[in-house]
Amino acid sequence: MASAMTEYPGNVPVWVNKDNCKACDICVSVCPSGVLGMRYDHTSTLGAMISVDHPEACIGCNECELSCPDFAIYVADKKEYKFAKLTDDAKERQVAIVANNYMSLDLQGAK
Amino acid sequence: MAFNYDKYLRLEKMPTLWCWGCGDGVILKAFVRAIDKLNINPDDVCVVSGIGCSGRFSSYVDFNTVHTTHGRTVAFATGIKLMNPDKYVICVAGDGDALAIGGNHTIHGCRRNIDITMIIINNFIYGLTNSQTSPTTPQGMWTVSQKSGNIDPTFNATDLAIASGASFVARETMLDPKKLEKVFVKALEHRGFAFLDIMSNCHINLGRKNKMASAMENLGWIDSITTPLKKWEALPEEEKLNVFPTGILKEDKIVREYCDMYQDVIDFHQGKRKTITQDDFAKKI
Repeated sequence: MASAMTEYPGNVPVWVNKDNCKACDICVSVCPSGVLGMRYDHTSTLGAMISVDHPEACIGCNECELSCPDFAIYVADKKEYKFAKLTDDAKERQVAIVANNYMSLDLQGAK
Repeated sequence: MAFNYDKYLRLEKMPTLWCWGCGDGVILKAFVRAIDKLNINPDDVCVVSGIGCSGRFSSYVDFNTVHTTHGRTVAFATGIKLMNPDKYVICVAGDGDALAIGGNHTIHGCRRNIDITMIIINNFIYGLTNSQTSPTTPQGMWTVSQKSGNIDPTFNATDLAIASGASFVARETMLDPKKLEKVFVKALEHRGFAFLDIMSNCHINLGRKNKMASAMENLGWIDSITTPLKKWEALPEEEKLNVFPTGILKEDKIVREYCDMYQDVIDFHQGKRKTITQDDFAKKI
């Protein structure tokens, strides 16, 4: 039985339920500040898994949680975690991640 | 603590059987959030679903659920609603379920204006059975049953509902979950037939064969064929045919609801009410 993991694990802005994720890339595409990326993972459905690469840039907009079709990604409450402000650096990183086919930036041209 | 979805879901059924990136999951999530926002007791909700990928919807929510035969969601829901007029009854159907095989039930549900919220998950194809042409498939798209492109004209589901007499008609896409949640809240609060045409993606069975094989490419295409109602009204007439307006297209609070009228008839026969005239039911214009 897969649990839904809505409880706050502590000191992170975003956390992932790896049992539910099907690696559809939607969360990576809706993030405004380049927090997320996909990484190869041979144990997962589509051979990839979400990786939270830049938790310090998360602005807590909740878009990834709302757009996830599989109850796999969760965002902390604004009372529990101090979120960052959206910066130009973060916006550029997001554009680069989308151009890299939603893969993490250290996996350049992997897909 | 993120939003607690657990108490509304059947966790033993997770993860869902839908394909990766399927819009049905986003709609399910927005629906659960809308129920939570209105503070509705889960025991007061009944979700009725038909056959198709959308039919799985009732398996994942921990309300009272009925998984019915193909296209007959409104027929089952009408019976449930007449016996329990104070409960929330929600139909979930796909485009093939509600507009093709169940088209007859859908229009008569709209005509009666019975207090049912009908969610149509419109993914433009028969997804579960591997991409046959559905009533909403755009002309020219490749399907298994029309291999040189679909020649059937496309169905506009909301125009059908408005013409049939539904008192709340709206169209949304799964691109904006926040808007989706708001429209669910309004539809659940509305007393009367609420018809929601929710456009969703099927990049597996529509997209792969029509050059949009990933979820994002399919969502981009949905974005290109929809526009908010106000912008749509400003478009020239010939361009209006190519795009669908989104938002609340009709909201009528004056027309009487079916269960209320039925209660009048029950009261008359039980002697609680002395007279009953045609004016009691007449549509006030």
